[in-house]
Amino acid sequence: MTNSLKSVDDVLEALTSERYVAERSLGVAVHLALQLGKPLFLEGEAGVGKTEVAKVLASILDTPLIRLQCYEGLDVGHAVYEWDYPRQMLAIRLIEAQGEGAHADVTDIMSRDYLVARPLLQAVEAAAKGERPVLLIDELDRADEEFEAYLLEMLSDFQVTIPEIGTISADRPPVVILTSNRTREIHDALKRRCIYHWIDYPNFEREVEIVLRKIPEVPEELAGDLARAMEKLRSMDLFKPPGVAETLDWAAALGVLGTSRLSPETADDTLGVILKYQEDIERLRAVGVEQLLATAG
Amino acid sequence: MAEPLTHNLVHFTRYLRAQGLRVVPDTTTDLMEAARIVGLEARNDAYHAFRAVTVSRPEEIPVFNEAFELFFGSGRRFVKPREPIELEVHRRGPRVHVIAPTTVQADLGDQEDSDLHEQAGASAVERLATRDFSDLTESEYAAVQLAIARMVWKPADARSRRWAPSAGGSKPDLRRTLRQMTGPSRDLMPLALNAPKPRRRPLLVIADVSGSMERYTEMLLYFVHAARGRLGKVEAFVFSTGLSRITRELRHRDPRVALSQVGIAVHDWSSGTLIGEAFAEFNRGWSRRVTRGGPVAIVISDGWDRGDQAVLRKEFATFARSVHRVVWLNPLAGRAGFEPQTRGMQAVLPFVDDFMPVGNLADLTAVVRLLESVPKRKEVTRG
Repeated sequence: MTNSLKSVDDVLEALTSERYVAERSLGVAVHLALQLGKPLFLEGEAGVGKTEVAKVLASILDTPLIRLQCYEGLDVGHAVYEWDYPRQMLAIRLIEAQGEGAHADVTDIMSRDYLVARPLLQAVEAAAKGERPVLLIDELDRADEEFEAYLLEMLSDFQVTIPEIGTISADRPPVVILTSNRTREIHDALKRRCIYHWIDYPNFEREVEIVLRKIPEVPEELAGDLARAMEKLRSMDLFKPPGVAETLDWAAALGVLGTSRLSPETADDTLGVILKYQEDIERLRAVGVEQLLATAG
Repeated sequence: MAEPLTHNLVHFTRYLRAQGLRVVPDTTTDLMEAARIVGLEARNDAYHAFRAVTVSRPEEIPVFNEAFELFFGSGRRFVKPREPIELEVHRRGPRVHVIAPTTVQADLGDQEDSDLHEQAGASAVERLATRDFSDLTESEYAAVQLAIARMVWKPADARSRRWAPSAGGSKPDLRRTLRQMTGPSRDLMPLALNAPKPRRRPLLVIADVSGSMERYTEMLLYFVHAARGRLGKVEAFVFSTGLSRITRELRHRDPRVALSQVGIAVHDWSSGTLIGEAFAEFNRGWSRRVTRGGPVAIVISDGWDRGDQAVLRKEFATFARSVHRVVWLNPLAGRAGFEPQTRGMQAVLPFVDDFMPVGNLADLTAVVRLLESVPKRKEVTRG
């Protein structure tokens, strides 16, 4: 529980024990968010481990992870709750079949039993019961402004009002993590309610550490080769620079191939794992794949 | 001990605000809380904690770093208040002579009786409509600006993935249907329907502010500011040798303030033009952040380019793929005998959907009309 996380060091230690290698700044942000009961807003390029923070945190706190994946047009029916229409219809038929004598109350089919809770309601209900789930609102930048406005309201008082049932509210908010890949700017009003943290690409040492921790089978030399290559790629002005997720995919792919050091040939064969745009692959081949292997200096 | 800290954090908050960070008075309270939770012994932790509650975008981090160093840098003990420092502001950019609409109205009213009215019965604005921006007198200039401010914008809607109740809709809304059923019983149970909710298509403006565009830049930026005021969803960039985003600067309601802020923010006014490099910069650094929702892109440039044509062609092709429609406005295109023969124009024309002149008020009106008929589907006719 949160009680065991009394300091930034506790948080960092817990993250490490879950094989998440974090910068100290992230540890501070997580610690603040937990202590202040504010949502944590994580922004950064794709594949730097934003979503992972929520998963790891749920595991540390030993609570369920409730995830809401955002997309354009996301509405209340998919984010908060939806009535179970087929069951409602069946119930109406049943009442009709019982004929005149049956005394059915319409409020029956508008009760909690006929409600399907979606992630936001799930989180509020769990919190209302005294639990403290981790609510992950993933890739908020994909949702439209209308959903953002709803979220703003929801994050300020953690309650959901269902006209037919009433208001469900949580005294203690769930742990909320929002992520954004920055495909658009999220409104300031929403960010202001959150603890903000920008996750950057890791430096060389940390990236090696991440690879070794996540995939212990990888030889240390190979992890170093990959981290060095990634550093170069990210400085290359690509359309889509590879993230840490790509480094791990790459390490895994090379593991399958039984490679112990990165060579220009193996790198060229596996470029598709790390570069997702033909343009970027061409750009790299134009300067020469062997550039990735050149040691500093 | 606590009192001086509070005092200092209040100053710190104010200072950050003066530096353009979007902090609120509550931020001071958040800073206090953050200081309490992580403690002030470890300067590094305090730094990260303060940053997490005040910064809300990566571009603000360097600004925050400077402020933090100023207030709590080594040698300072988190207590000594420090008065904000006046920043030296370099003013550059277009000469701004926007006249407030009320003044202009008065001006026009006066002129009603004098020479303007007598000219063949045409109203002042009609007469000005076809006069090139570079030939306007001071008061005509103001009249044109007023006409721009009064333009009616009715851009075509874009497709949306969101639904709204509509009697003529196509998708049943079970939630509303069920709710209606709980009301008084009727013989026929009406099915509630939804139709796609109209969505406003965003606008993306990329304007050339290099030397050759100088005489048009101010009026065109005024136009962009008016578009922002009317449409809301407008992203704006200017370029000459480099690219600058001016969306935030244009936010101010008053065009005089907005344009002078643009002037302060942009550093390479009226220098040479590298169109290809500007679009490369856009494609790498901004495209994925500002082209959501399929914007109509309006590029304003005369196409005079000193850069590499191969780069321009390649980057512009990428750019055209990432937006819904490319409208290219060229101030020279309205002149008699104009042919888009500058090398820059030649390189980009295959990717331009609409090529239009933008030398006078009538041209701007045509642009606004064009936006009313942008099709919902992207036209793909490029090689």
